[in-house]
Amino acid sequence: MSHDHEHGLPPKSSVSRWFLTTNHKDIGVLYLITALFFLVFGGVLALLFRLELISSGADLLGSMGYNQAVSTHGLLMVFWFISPFAFGFANYIVPLQIGADDLAFPRLNALSYWLYLFSGILMGVSFFQGTTFAGGWTMYAPLNTPAYIPGEGLGATSVVLALIMFTAAVTLGSVNFLTTMYRMRAENLRMRDIPIFSLSINLTVWMMLFAFAALLAALMILASDHILGTTYFQYSIDGTTMATDADNPGASLLWAHLFWFFGHPEVYIVFFPALGVMAECFQTFTGRRLVGRKWFIISMVLVALQSFVVWMHHMFLTGINLPIKTIFMATTIGISLPFDLMVFSLIYTMAKGRVRFTTPFLFSLGALILFIIGGITGVFLGAIVLDYQFRGTYWVVAHFHYVMVAGATALFGGLYYWYPKITGKMYNETLGKIQFGVYFLGFNLLYFPMFIAWETPRRVFVYPDGLQIWHSMATVGGFILGASFLLMFYNLFVSLWRGEDVGPNPWEYATSAEWAVSSPPSLENFPGVPSYATGKLEFLDEEAVTERTESAPGGAAHGHAATDGGTATDGGAVTARAAATATAVEPAHEVGGEEHASHASFWPFLVSLGGFIAFLGLSGVRTGSVFYLSMAAVGGVATFGSLVGMTREPFHAPEMAIAERWPFERVEKMKLGMWTFLASDIVLFGAFIGSYAFVRVAYGWTAWHHDLIPAEHVTMPGLINTYLLLTSSFLVVLAMVAAERESKRGTVAALVGTFALGVGFLINKGIEWNHLFHISTETFPNGWGLSTNIASSTFYLTTGLHGAHVTIGLIICAYMTVRAWNGAYQGDDRAIEYFGLYWHFVDIVWLFLFPLFYIL
Amino acid sequence: MKEMVGVVITRVAIGFPLHGGDVRAPSAVFDQIFEVFLLLGTAVGVVVVAYTMYHALKYRDDGGTDPYADKVERPEMGEMPTGGAGGRKVFYSFSISAIIVVSLIAWTYSQLLYIEQGPDPAQTDALEIDVEGYRFGWDFVYPNGHTTNTLYVPQDRVVRLQVTSTDVFHNFGIPELRVKTDAVPGQYTSAWFTANETGTYAAKCYELCGSGHSLMTTDVVVMPQDEYEEWYAETEGTNETKSGGNETGGADHQIAPATAGGVPA
Repeated sequence: MSHDHEHGLPPKSSVSRWFLTTNHKDIGVLYLITALFFLVFGGVLALLFRLELISSGADLLGSMGYNQAVSTHGLLMVFWFISPFAFGFANYIVPLQIGADDLAFPRLNALSYWLYLFSGILMGVSFFQGTTFAGGWTMYAPLNTPAYIPGEGLGATSVVLALIMFTAAVTLGSVNFLTTMYRMRAENLRMRDIPIFSLSINLTVWMMLFAFAALLAALMILASDHILGTTYFQYSIDGTTMATDADNPGASLLWAHLFWFFGHPEVYIVFFPALGVMAECFQTFTGRRLVGRKWFIISMVLVALQSFVVWMHHMFLTGINLPIKTIFMATTIGISLPFDLMVFSLIYTMAKGRVRFTTPFLFSLGALILFIIGGITGVFLGAIVLDYQFRGTYWVVAHFHYVMVAGATALFGGLYYWYPKITGKMYNETLGKIQFGVYFLGFNLLYFPMFIAWETPRRVFVYPDGLQIWHSMATVGGFILGASFLLMFYNLFVSLWRGEDVGPNPWEYATSAEWAVSSPPSLENFPGVPSYATGKLEFLDEEAVTERTESAPGGAAHGHAATDGGTATDGGAVTARAAATATAVEPAHEVGGEEHASHASFWPFLVSLGGFIAFLGLSGVRTGSVFYLSMAAVGGVATFGSLVGMTREPFHAPEMAIAERWPFERVEKMKLGMWTFLASDIVLFGAFIGSYAFVRVAYGWTAWHHDLIPAEHVTMPGLINTYLLLTSSFLVVLAMVAAERESKRGTVAALVGTFALGVGFLINKGIEWNHLFHISTETFPNGWGLSTNIASSTFYLTTGLHGAHVTIGLIICAYMTVRAWNGAYQGDDRAIEYFGLYWHFVDIVWLFLFPLFYIL
Repeated sequence: MKEMVGVVITRVAIGFPLHGGDVRAPSAVFDQIFEVFLLLGTAVGVVVVAYTMYHALKYRDDGGTDPYADKVERPEMGEMPTGGAGGRKVFYSFSISAIIVVSLIAWTYSQLLYIEQGPDPAQTDALEIDVEGYRFGWDFVYPNGHTTNTLYVPQDRVVRLQVTSTDVFHNFGIPELRVKTDAVPGQYTSAWFTANETGTYAAKCYELCGSGHSLMTTDVVVMPQDEYEEWYAETEGTNETKSGGNETGGADHQIAPATAGGVPA
């Protein structure tokens, strides 16, 4: 362990270190350990229902217990175990591989972790609120609505809120990783030159950015149905039961589309990091460079793109028409082809290699074989005629466990592979090999019988007698698989003390930068500035860096080099959707004339704790209980206060002196972060608008207006609001100009004007809504409120989401006005520019909402 | 009795389809495709996995000198990543697997068109039945309005189902007859089948719908044509559903007893 001074960070042996740290390596370790905990949690649930399945009938858990177990097993494994586990490695290894000293926004990184942890805790709490969610991890509508949830249903609401919190963590992470990978690479490292693991993470976060936005829309709508009483996922308001009389015929399929549009990219989000680990381990342990590397990369990019156009293969039986089914059959087969190429690429990498069967390689090779088997069974599912019969059966279950858990298998290989780097100790190799054997046996004994017993319907505890042998075999396999994890935990834990010390690189033929530094790496990662300018990795000392930056004013060193005392900082741009303020750029924190990077902050923990309390309170507000209402209030205040604290905290994350920044050489770190965040927000609003269009078409586009919307809903308030917003956007531009011209009064005036117009927008909306809530006509005797019908639900929620964005913008604007009054931004309008980007985005969204909800 | 015979004779004269082997049942289509896939899939799986293990074992490091030292460049610490040679083999293997996959799927597509549309409607006299799923059972509505909880169908007759749900998302499937479709509230989906052998089959729910999901099964009784006609004639205006309020889980679902070939009570 290195003992250089840790810049205000307590040592690793102290507990407080782990609550304060923003260093990517520490956060990586936190993710790995937490994810393994959720692996055990989800695994125990699985063992419970596998015990149930030893014989037909609900002897052990009862039917509701069984449904909860299968549902939460799926949710925990997909969300709380596997991707966070992969991101433990991503956090630790990616900056090292690309030559960065940390992620672009270290405090946001810590915030992502704590939001993840607290979302998992909220998920755990849901078990104690009556029953937790029991409608399958796919959460189909309308089973996911309060009408079909027994009891008060607070546990189910908590699960939805926990997922929203998790999505916030993921979105922040995507923004962070993308900004890092496009602005903080070592000299001469083009995007295609970075190691395959880092490339796989890059593609993963691109997919996450867009896919999770769609999920967030679905979850927000569902949470609104639970808490606010909207009726998106109810197909009948008045209890009619005939298909032809549905009040909202699009309800069920709306969820299916939103969920699977997310759900399909999600499986590649899960698998890609594993693919990256396999590529690294194959290269290292065969002693050969990856064969067909260029095509491997192209294949990954193709899969990432295609992943967004296959989702309806989960919906072949929902009554969609034949041309659409044909298209999705073609795209589904299309996406399997790049995987064929990647599989062969890995196989041929072994040719003329020096293959060593170390534990990491055993897991990677094992993962490849399991993935081949799983992939072949996926082609079966792509043949629609077969899919019709496999739907809802164990064929699907066996297929996805083979491919997904093959991914997990590769990640466990990664755990062994990088364990020496992270801990500085070597694990016990013999025990590792034994564990692999037990694991591989358990895996196949658990999942292969599911193919044989494929006729069993999913999520049932009753099956024909003839299949009992296979289900029993699977249960035994499950316990063997579980036992193998005990071996792994023992090995890795004891080796912390008893393992041999290792140097920088215990693996022959490893080439990437993480193996060129000590094990574990020092806090700053490298003994100099990493550079590939000569075609090989070198560490430049300060003299060499100064020489470079002074002689090369071009793209690589554009921006704010740290050597000239630049002012690039991490302004802690917080974008949590629960309750958020964004920030301004903070001045550099100077300590004795030198700038040290900051590594500690307790605000991420506090923001997440506040968020947890707020969401826990929200889960029960509809009961009106004092306990839940006060939790929601206290949590809301705590979160808001912590965000303000985080904004005002001086935190310094210097930019690299020399870096490859293609294609964002001219885009600053904060601006790039803002743009990636807005990209995800675009998809969020796109999903809301798409949902509105979908249910309106399902109902009948023109009949909608006639049947469901009162005459009192007129255009004028919307028109006024449009003018108010457009003018306010113009004022933000004026504020920028005033700041550049160093006119403090001009800046303040423009910002105050923006604020006033925004407030006017909200007041106008408030008046409009209040009026609509209280109308009393023949068709709408009790007013036109959130629960009245699907048209009112879509109107209030979509424009309400926009209104929430306006509110957040106003809070930021108010903060900035105060700072401007105190002299900030004079001569440097960047913070106002970033705010302006957000504000213009909000404006543009309104330009879509206005015609959709007021004119058409 | 005389009237019954008259009806049958008239229908035969019009072209009442007695299929036997005339209409290819969906189960036959599925079985054929599944068999081909199983064979090819197993073969491909065995070949590729064996090929993988062959490479892993043949090129294992036995601790001695590097036998390929002059043929292959080994990766070096700190190098800029480049690919290894030998990419052509990747393309050959990839092309072979792509051709296999694409042709398999193209072949199944022609079968899909048959499954989607069913046999030519002009030549078949299909029996149209509405299926309504609910928590936790199935209602079958016949053309004359009669509603049952057990599906009675004649042998060798094309049956077209219009399926919906009256509460949550279900899925109706008769595994042995290879017919399945989602039961989505707010809309209808359709499926068709023909049963060539008499007997009692099970219909199940394949989409999680609540605590009674595991028990949401019911019987499908396939009877000879004439027995079916008899049964159907007697159903005018009667209604065999049990009380519809099966909201709670685990309620044992009572199924009308079906004696093979006989008219149910």
